[in-house]
Amino acid sequence: MIARVAWLLARPGASGTATLVLPVTAFAIVTTLLLTVLGGAQSFWTWTDDIAFSYQLLAVVALVLLVVPLASLGGAAARLSARRRDDRLATLRLLGATPVTVSALAVLESTVLALAGAVAGVAGYFAVVPALALVPFRGAPLGIEGVVLGAPVIAGAVLGIAVLAAVSAVLGLRQVVISPLGVRTRQDAPKLSWVRAGIAAAVLVVSFGLMSVLQVAGSAMVIIAFLAAAFGGTLAVLNLVGPWAIRLVARRQARRATRPAKLLAARTVLESPKAAWRQVSGVAMTSFMAVFAGVGVALIDLTAGDAGMDAASAQLFADIRTGILITVIGSFLMVACSVGVNQAAGILDRRDLYRSLDMLGMPERTMDAARRRAVMSPLRLTAIGSAVVAAVVMLPLTGVTLLVQPLALIVIAAVLAAGIGVVALGLVVTKPLLRRAATEG
Amino acid sequence: MSSFVIEATGLEKSFGTTRALTGVSLAVRAGESLAIMGASGSGKTTLLHCLAGITLPDAGAVAFHGRAGRVGVNTLNERGRSQLRREEFGFVFQQGLLIPELTAIENVALALMLNGMPRREATSHAAGWLAALGLAGMEDRRIGQLSGGQAQRVAIARAQVTGAAVVFADEPTGALDSTTSADVIGALLHSTTGQGRTLVMVTHDADVAARCSRIVEVRDGRIVGERVGAAA
Repeated sequence: MIARVAWLLARPGASGTATLVLPVTAFAIVTTLLLTVLGGAQSFWTWTDDIAFSYQLLAVVALVLLVVPLASLGGAAARLSARRRDDRLATLRLLGATPVTVSALAVLESTVLALAGAVAGVAGYFAVVPALALVPFRGAPLGIEGVVLGAPVIAGAVLGIAVLAAVSAVLGLRQVVISPLGVRTRQDAPKLSWVRAGIAAAVLVVSFGLMSVLQVAGSAMVIIAFLAAAFGGTLAVLNLVGPWAIRLVARRQARRATRPAKLLAARTVLESPKAAWRQVSGVAMTSFMAVFAGVGVALIDLTAGDAGMDAASAQLFADIRTGILITVIGSFLMVACSVGVNQAAGILDRRDLYRSLDMLGMPERTMDAARRRAVMSPLRLTAIGSAVVAAVVMLPLTGVTLLVQPLALIVIAAVLAAGIGVVALGLVVTKPLLRRAATEG
Repeated sequence: MSSFVIEATGLEKSFGTTRALTGVSLAVRAGESLAIMGASGSGKTTLLHCLAGITLPDAGAVAFHGRAGRVGVNTLNERGRSQLRREEFGFVFQQGLLIPELTAIENVALALMLNGMPRREATSHAAGWLAALGLAGMEDRRIGQLSGGQAQRVAIARAQVTGAAVVFADEPTGALDSTTSADVIGALLHSTTGQGRTLVMVTHDADVAARCSRIVEVRDGRIVGERVGAAA
């Protein structure tokens, strides 16, 4: 019975094939990016000399940083797949289908779409491999054999994507199972507490204190422990305070908005500050890391330049800079994809509303400006805010870097600006979908 | 000056091989309430969309007699028709189709802000309309926190706040129970024809149509009958 109903639900509805094509495309992009990241990281484990461990350690840091935006993108793809069916599944619940039936349908459908997307994503990965092989580390390109993953890893990634989709479908549809009307009426208006700000301020003060003590600390182990505590603590703070800060700014924007697009954008963010944060949180981590590590590398470079540095260490620091840039770019690419996927889903979900706004005479540029602002405003706040937090935590060192190696900070700022541009591009790509929704319904 | 606010002549419209309108001519008098009745698929919504400049007819013409004189609706480009709809027309849809993220007052004020009115002034006008429609005290509620009837009143306020010469309503009571429906129609008539404005309403509900001043019946894309309603 479940298979028969699933087949009925899988048939394209009013929105045409988009309900099927969009999640499949999203999962394909997730898979391609995941395999590309894994392929790049894998090449670091082909080295076996003394300095290889340092590279592997840094690769793990980069992987951890990329996991956040990748998970966010994966989650967006899975939610898109699940949400496309939310209403119909909620209707099935209203008709008397059991929670087990609804869950089974959601899992089955999401998993099948994820598998189809993942397989397409593997093809995408192999298309990217030649470019990935050209990325230079340790003075030479990584090479094809270094970045091509083995069959077990690829199969594992495909399976992982399918499991992610299944788990996300179950979690996403818990609401439908608990209360079908909850989904149909969409009345949630989450609030976030001031407590978050208090905790964040406390952790920032501690981190700043750690970094100040760092300058007089003796052993390398103590320095690393302090650095790790300050880095980890501040990252945790970013996650804690991010949605709250986004909500605070959006509330202010909603109060002060003088133009329709600004008002609409601020209210869209206020509808779910957590969702707005989830979409851009990867950038927060990366932006924080870029400044944090960028300042560190610039200073090490400087001090080593005075004392003289061996060729291997010089290469390592040059590669760390490359790694930072690649991680920042990768992170922004994933956020751009995530934004594209969420926007496409949002437009499809709200096509009746967009059609009605067009009928009322709302110019398309106002609708477009509203959705652009709803993404770009939290993104700018997140990217710049995280960079500023990192600069504050590293304050004395940031000041020194700014004075003696301004180029290092300028490069980081330029990459962040380019990243924000890439996300804006992700929004432009979905504009035709908005036009179609507004004019064709 | 013509006593007609909208004049349509010889409207033809097809979607693929389906003929939605066949040679429809209709004139709407200023200040009247006109109900367009018909079964599902009869072409009544297509007719409303052509009159309002949402859809362009394949043949025929629609003229609007407004503050700036006679305007050929179907000769305007997309932008011109958008501006006309924004400044001269108001719309009420079956599901309200209000913006769920906005509060009731913001939904209404937005219509004025789109025409360039400062927010403070727009909010003040919007509050007046909401109060007139019995929604005082509910200004800051989000749409999900309102009942169906209250949401439709917000939609009526949004349609009227700009001073629209003509309000087009597409099954405005289609999703409401009979008591709320009677209430909403009362509010709609009072805020339109009661203020000297014009109402063009598509409905399949005979009781709702009967409250208008004139009723035209559409079948298979043609007007097949016309009669006087209770409000005449």
